[in-house]
Amino acid sequence: MVTMSLDPVQLMSGQVSELKVASSSNGNSRGLWEEKEEFDREHLGLPAKPKPPKPENAVTIAVSSRVLFRTEREQKVFEQKGVEEYLRYQIEHENEPFAPGPAFPFVKALETVNARLRDLYPQSEELFDIVLVTYNHAHVGIRLINTINHHNLFIERFCMTGGSSPIGYLKAWQTNLYLSADADKVREALAEGIAAATMFMSEKITEVSEYQLRVAFDGDAVLFSDESERIFKAHGLDKFFEHERENEDTLLDHGPLKGFLEVLGKLQKKFYAKGQRLDCPIRTYLVTARSAASSGIRALKTLRAWGLEIDEALFLAGAPKGPMLEKIRPHIFFDDQMFHVEGAAEMGTIAAHVPYGIAQNHNPKQNASVGK
Amino acid sequence: MVSTVLNTDVKQKDADHAVVIAVTSRAVFGSGADDDEVYGEGLAFPLLQALQRVNEHLLMNNPAELLLFDIVLLTTDSQQQQQSPRIISSTRHYGLEVGRFCFSSEEDFVENLLKNNVQLFLSTDRNEASQATQRGVLSALLDHQTASCPSEQLKVLFFGDAVIQPDTGPTPPSRQAARSFSAQLGEMQRRFTMSDSPLSIGLVTWRGGRDSCADALHTLRSRGVRVDEAYCLAEAPWGPILSVFRPHFLLSDGFGGLEG
Repeated sequence: MVTMSLDPVQLMSGQVSELKVASSSNGNSRGLWEEKEEFDREHLGLPAKPKPPKPENAVTIAVSSRVLFRTEREQKVFEQKGVEEYLRYQIEHENEPFAPGPAFPFVKALETVNARLRDLYPQSEELFDIVLVTYNHAHVGIRLINTINHHNLFIERFCMTGGSSPIGYLKAWQTNLYLSADADKVREALAEGIAAATMFMSEKITEVSEYQLRVAFDGDAVLFSDESERIFKAHGLDKFFEHERENEDTLLDHGPLKGFLEVLGKLQKKFYAKGQRLDCPIRTYLVTARSAASSGIRALKTLRAWGLEIDEALFLAGAPKGPMLEKIRPHIFFDDQMFHVEGAAEMGTIAAHVPYGIAQNHNPKQNASVGK
Repeated sequence: MVSTVLNTDVKQKDADHAVVIAVTSRAVFGSGADDDEVYGEGLAFPLLQALQRVNEHLLMNNPAELLLFDIVLLTTDSQQQQQSPRIISSTRHYGLEVGRFCFSSEEDFVENLLKNNVQLFLSTDRNEASQATQRGVLSALLDHQTASCPSEQLKVLFFGDAVIQPDTGPTPPSRQAARSFSAQLGEMQRRFTMSDSPLSIGLVTWRGGRDSCADALHTLRSRGVRVDEAYCLAEAPWGPILSVFRPHFLLSDGFGGLEG
């Protein structure tokens, strides 16, 4: 069997640095001390990797191969030459690991959180469980496994459905979040009540933290329903403000990513319980075009009523989100409007599109909404 | 007492090249009322139809094709044996592509399998499957979770935990049978392109993680099998896999079937 995993011999002969350069184009390789830890474990006869948690106990994050890794070249082969040639190409290049894709930093950050959780709660299965779910054909399986080994990712579960829909598996494994490059698949998941978002490869990616997972959410049509957006689209900004004022004490309905924020909150509480509030490796952000003085109040009241804490709420009152996100540097930013997703990506933020709600019926370029 | 009856409705397959699959009639036919001439469809009915579809596709591509499934209907149940005319007439009624009917007792049915060069034995009876396996005949257990899903394709699921070669221990007697059967499946697959294959092959590994799955993929590849779908469970529940993939049968190197 051919693997690309690091082994003690490579570590000792200093070949590690060469492998790291190849895989860490965005600076997210594991620190050397982590790799030494793995070497020590093997040396002491300890099991090299912990067992993955049971799906019902874990926070299951399903990622597709096209967002975890960069597969543009292969996509092109598929589109231009068809599936047989595509598979032949994959097999030919089986020992060449893929480069990291847009979801890679996010997945690495999840593993960092897991390491911290395992330290504090060694017996607990309340961890992130990362599952590779791909429409890819199993022929590509060996190359994907080689790539996972090469990047030292902790992914032990995967589905390669060879073209059929993976929605059944997503549901069966109680998936808490599904990330894919394909908007149709994402829409399918959302329709089944699974939090999902589309990710895109962008050329510019700013460095993100290796020690703290940062997740940023838009408000309307992401954490909350799109009801207020509908008012804005139908009747304009003034009506929107009026409506929000009148309904200040009425909770907003929940949106597709509310559940994911909730599970993040549950994990955060585990750190707080051990006195690690300041040092918590999970941080959440609300980045909304609502304004603090008016329409933002309803959002905050709703979150409070749901028992959800968000670490930082940024009310932009219609100002562009890009500069703020550039400061936050989230591992992922969820927004329902392509306009914001593209704007964020232009500034190097890893943004994911949630194709939900009224904003999807309009041309993204026309969606330069101000008072959302 | 063992007897074999040729089905004259069906063109006999070439013994040197065909892949002989024996299915128990108990699995193929449900019970019918005593007055009825014809049995109802049993849980393996869709499986048989899927096998037939593979043959049809193979012959469409090459009318002179010899690598075909040769289906043998095996009856061990003494009650059903008395109904042998009805088994034969039911088979003809449905137009099932059964090449031969074999009737034998519980004691000598394995001899019958060996004599008929059966490469895969499918039964709903765990005991029968176990006996056949011990004598080196690749077997798979059919039940309602498998077998009975109507599908355009024949869906075969390899249970990867058994596919990986263990370094120690005796080789299960049916391992060689498993190797050659999978090689023949691979051969059949190569007759088709990806987009028009009547055969869909999946792999599921339960114990171990991705490296176990990689091993199983390599092993199957070395046998010439092209795996279409792969599921690495790392001990996650596999009921969902079965209900979404809907295999007609599950193959492991030794005893096939849903254990645990």
